[in-house]
Order: sequence, then structure tokens, then C-alpha cells
Amino acid sequence: MSTEAVLDTPATGEAPPIPVRAAELEDPILEARSLVKRYGDIEAVAGLDLSIQPGEVYCLLGPNGAGKTTTIHLFLGFIEPDSGRVRVSGFDVAQNALDARRRLAYVPEQVMLYRNLSGLENLQYFAALGGRETLSSERLTEILVDVGLPLPAVGRRVAEYSKGMRQKVGIAIAVAKDAEALLLDEPTSGLDPKASREFSELIETLRGRGVAVLMATHDLFRAKESGTRIGIMRHGRLVTELSTGEIGHADLERIYLDHMQE
Amino acid sequence: MIRHIVRKEFTDLLRDGRFRWCAAIVGVLLLVSLGSGLVETRRAEAAHTAARETARDHWESQGEKNPHSAAHYGIYAFKPRLPLSFLDQGVDPYTGTSVWLEAHRQNDFLMRPAQDATAGQRLGALTAAQVLQYLVPLLIILLAFGALAGEREQGTLRQLLATGISRRDLALGKAFGVAGALALLLIPAAIVGSAAITLGSPGPAATPFARGTVLAAGYLAYFAVFVALSLAVSAWVRSARTALVALLGVWVLNGLVAPRVAVDLSKSLHPTPSAVEFARTMEREISTGVPGIERPDRDETTARLLAEHGVETVDDLPLNAVGVYLQESEEFANQIFDRNYGALWNRFERQGVVHEALSVAAPLLAVRTLSMGLAGTDVEQHRHFATAAEEYRRDLMRRMNGDLAENSRAGETYLATEDTWAQVPPFQYDAPSLGWVLQNRALSLAMLGLWLVGAFLVAGSLVRRAEVA
Repeated sequence: MSTEAVLDTPATGEAPPIPVRAAELEDPILEARSLVKRYGDIEAVAGLDLSIQPGEVYCLLGPNGAGKTTTIHLFLGFIEPDSGRVRVSGFDVAQNALDARRRLAYVPEQVMLYRNLSGLENLQYFAALGGRETLSSERLTEILVDVGLPLPAVGRRVAEYSKGMRQKVGIAIAVAKDAEALLLDEPTSGLDPKASREFSELIETLRGRGVAVLMATHDLFRAKESGTRIGIMRHGRLVTELSTGEIGHADLERIYLDHMQE
Repeated sequence: MIRHIVRKEFTDLLRDGRFRWCAAIVGVLLLVSLGSGLVETRRAEAAHTAARETARDHWESQGEKNPHSAAHYGIYAFKPRLPLSFLDQGVDPYTGTSVWLEAHRQNDFLMRPAQDATAGQRLGALTAAQVLQYLVPLLIILLAFGALAGEREQGTLRQLLATGISRRDLALGKAFGVAGALALLLIPAAIVGSAAITLGSPGPAATPFARGTVLAAGYLAYFAVFVALSLAVSAWVRSARTALVALLGVWVLNGLVAPRVAVDLSKSLHPTPSAVEFARTMEREISTGVPGIERPDRDETTARLLAEHGVETVDDLPLNAVGVYLQESEEFANQIFDRNYGALWNRFERQGVVHEALSVAAPLLAVRTLSMGLAGTDVEQHRHFATAAEEYRRDLMRRMNGDLAENSRAGETYLATEDTWAQVPPFQYDAPSLGWVLQNRALSLAMLGLWLVGAFLVAGSLVRRAEVA
């Protein structure tokens, strides 16, 4: 995958109109304050405070059920918090979910696509819904190839795709949207090591363009490689925050396991 | 935004083999039912025309005959087929479309329960109306049950909403996508239908296209109700399978249960006599009379005429007392007919109101009544025709008895010539106007409108609250 090729060519097409924002541009792109989400007696997210600046890649680590995906869904406005507040580029998600989502790109753990459409048609559809309807087929094909989808597969129906190929289309959808923030939920799930490495390069390039990235992952190695900051979640709480520049791979593994055993 | 969703839905459906098969089956059935309806209507109209001409010819060429014998000889009256009747036969198969007009009797078609056919029986004889009322909604359900539930189940809903589109736009896009796929079926059918109206307009209706336009609008509203209901259920339930089961339940209630319940309830609220019972009652009343409607007495009629003309014997009367008596007998019978048929028609009318009112529970009842009304095959238009035919019969009897009274004398053998028969004008019938039909079907129109607004309000509310995952 040629990350530079993906991002060097500016995507054409007009972005959706931007309403007046509640905050200034230097404010964090992604922000959570005292965020709480309960399912019955279980606190999936318990008083989370998070702030991600432009050009920052924040990796949320934690076991299953730690609250990582719930946090991402709260940023997307798919679920409502019991208390606290979530902002995306200054837009309060509870009040302006659509404006917030228009500034986000999202790659779920299992990218699901329309089986009867080709990879290119899926990308055209999602890009158009994301406000990038003027992107040409050539440009979209370029994006698909650059994220690692073989050219012959671009026009084939998705029913014939492997999980990894679908994941690549999902990443292409996020790239094509040219969003201010990227929410990634186990994005490298299903990718082979080479594609995972290329994905890390893509994240690095996006970071260089000022995109704020929140990535939920189990992959300590990928978190250390791609992240600028790492937050370890357990039982819905952020138990520690680390700067990736200050720790090595072994330190991260030790700290993570220490917290899991508490 | 919405156009992208519509285009994608349309493409996705066209590539779906299940849709292609279902649409092909429904499309073929629709075109076949339209074609067979048209052929049958034209055949019946041709047969009616031939029979009308033959009956008139027989009437005019019956030779010299006593006018009362001619009155018994009688003549047929045929209900003209309206141009849209090929779409919806309505009650015609139960009531018939011709009536024998003769002396002393009001022959009619109402001896059989016209609207009592079960849904199963109605499905047995496939008409275009039945395809539109039963099969197209089923196809809509099959197209739309997964609109939101399927997206949610597959995991594409969260990716869609993450793009920043609203649930409202997504639902509208889905609705228009289904509409686009349906248009592939309905536009060819509409073209065939329009051609059929143009080519095969045998009837007297002056405004077949106006009727056709209202009919099309009614069916489109009915389909829109099913699209909205499908979206509502798909947004409400967790899985596509549950949505399908729930919507099939709605289809069964609407198409099979509600019509049966409507028939049973309307009959129990406003019972009608059986055919045998009705005939016996009329026979008894005609033989004995009823309070206020006394059977004329021949001797009394004769005595009254003698007194009126101041003569002693019937031979001195300037008219034939028998002709006067026969006309008085006709008028007596007419009162008995009016009394019994009036009560029966009123009961049918009240049953119809119950039927229409129950469409608050099932839109099929509303669209079915509207469809029959616009096709000219409902009970009310049958009554309109029957009344016109009966008026013609009474005029015919009046003419025959009048001829006998004026042109013959007591005791003589009188034979009228063929000129007498030719002077009787042929039966002419003008079908009711579109305004008359719409006035009669106002309740169905209102119910259909209510369903349309209600279904979209419910769908809007449930779509707004639809869970993402």
C-alpha cells in the first residue's frame, strides 16, 4: 500500500457546509468529559475523560468488555450517555449527532458491505453519503488499490471478498471521506501482517495531516507502533495513560498485564 | 443524499435473484390478469351487444300479439361494461350483468349474497385488482422487510449512519428505492392498462382516464401504506427474520382475516334474508297484500270505471277495464317490490358502511371498495343499474297495459301490431359520473388517506428511534 499516494492527491469535491462551531479550532477534535454509560447494573463506561488533539493517535487498550467499543459508539452518537458529554470538532454529539458524524470516519472491527455491489460501488456509495460524491471512479479506484485491494478485485462483487479485503474497503471508505477524526475499532482485524504494517503507515500519514485518531485495539504492538498516546481501559475506566515515546514494547506489555491482573 | 440511497437500493434489488424471480412472477400474473380481464370484458361486451340486438329484434318481430302477452314475453336489459371493469370485476360475477324484464315480476340479481365471497374464493379467480391488492403488497414486504432490520443485522447500518446521513434520509431513500423497483412492474402494467382503456372502451363512461387516474392514485396510496408499514416494522424489531414474520402477519390480517371479519360482522349487524326467504316473502305479500298496500280487485276496478264514465256495462266503457286492472296490479306489485327491495338495498348499504368503516383496521377494505367503485362494479352501481332497468320495465308495462286499455274493448280478441313494439324505446343506461362514485366512496377515500398519514407518522417515529446495533 502506498500511503503517500493515498493522501498526496487531494480529494476533490466540496465538503458539506460547516455550521458555526461551539469551540475554536485549536480545541481537541475528540473530547469526552465525565462520560458514563450503564447497561443495567454494569457500567460500560465509568466517568471517562479523554481529549485527542489534531495529529494525535490515541490507542485504547483493554480486554473484551473494557468499554472500548462503547466509547467509540458514544463518539458516533449511536448510543446516548447516561451522563457526561462527548464532543467532535466542537459539536456536542448529543445535540448535533449528524454534524459530529460528518466530521468522523469510522472503521469497525467487522467491515460489512453490500454483497451485490462491487468494492468500487460500495466505496462510491459510502463516499457519496459522506459528502464526497464528486470523487471520480478513477480516484476511488486509486484509493482502493492504494489501501491494498488488488486491482482485479475492485470491480468484483463483494460477495467474493475475503474478510481482509472487506476491511481494506472499509479503510478506503474512511480515507475517501477525508474526515477530521478517525474512529477505529480493531481496524486491523483480518489483515495480514503486511497489510497491517501498511495500515500503520497510513495512520502515520493521516496523523501528519492533522487527523485525530482514536483506535480501540487488543494489539499492543500496533498500539505502540501507531499511537502517540495509549490509554488502558478496564471496567469502563481509564486506568492509565502513557505516551508511546516514553516506553518500549516490553514496558507496554508489562504495564498492560499489571493492570489486567489487579 | 437520498438519490444515492435510491440508486444503490435499486441496483442492489435488481441484482438480487430473489427479487427478480418474485417480480417476474408478480409481473407476469399482473399482465396476464390484465390481458385476460380485457379479453373477457370485450368478449362479454360483444356477447351483450349481440344479445341486445337479438333481444330487440325478437321484441320488434314478435308479430301480432296481445300487449299483455308481449309484456310477459319481456325483454333483456344489459348492464354496460365500463372501461375499467376489466381491472376489477367486483360484484358482477355474483350479481350478473343482465336482467329479464317481464310483467308482474321484478327479476333481480340480489338473490345471491354478492359480497360474501371469502378471500380464498376471491383469489381463485385472479384479476388485476387481486394482484394489486394481494400480491403487490406481498412483494413490497419481501423487498422492504430488511430495509433497516437487515442493515442492522448485517452491521451496515452503523457504517451508513457513521457517514453522517440521517435516519430519515436513509428511510426515505429505502422507500423510494423500493418504489423504483416496483415501478419496473407497475409502469408496464399501467401502459398496458392505458392501452386497454383506449382500445377497448366499449362502455358509455365519458371519463375513463379520470377514473383510471383516481384508481391509480388509490392503489399508489395503498402501496405507500405497505412501504411505510414495512419500514416501521423493520425499524422497530431486532432482526430481519422477525420483521418478515411480523409483516407477513400484517399481510394475512389485512388480506385474509379482515375481509372475512368484515363480511361476518356486517351480516350479523345488518342481516339479510336468504334468497328463498326473500322470494317467499314477496310471493306472500303479492298474493295477499300488506297493510297500506291493498291488492286491487278486478270487480272494484270495473265498478269504479263504470261510475267514473257514467255507464252501465263494460261494453259501454271507452276503454278496456282489463288493461286498467292489469296496470293497477302492476302498480300494486311495484309497491311490494319497492318495499322489499328497498329494505334489502338499505341493508346492503348499511353492510357496505360497516365494511368501509372496518377499513380502519385493514387498508385492503378501503382500496377494494374504492377499486370496485371506480371500475363500476360495486353494489351501489349495480343498484343504480337495477333501478334504471326497473324503471324501464315499469314504463314498458305501462305502455303495454295502456295500449290494451285504449285500443281494445271488453270481450274482444285484441292483437297489437309490430308498430306497437317498435314504439317502445330501447333500454338506455347512463352509468354514474366520477363525482357520484367519489361521493359514494368518500369513506373509503378518507380511510385510505388516514392509513397513509398514519403509516408514515408511525414509520417516521420508529425510524427516528431505531437502534443502530
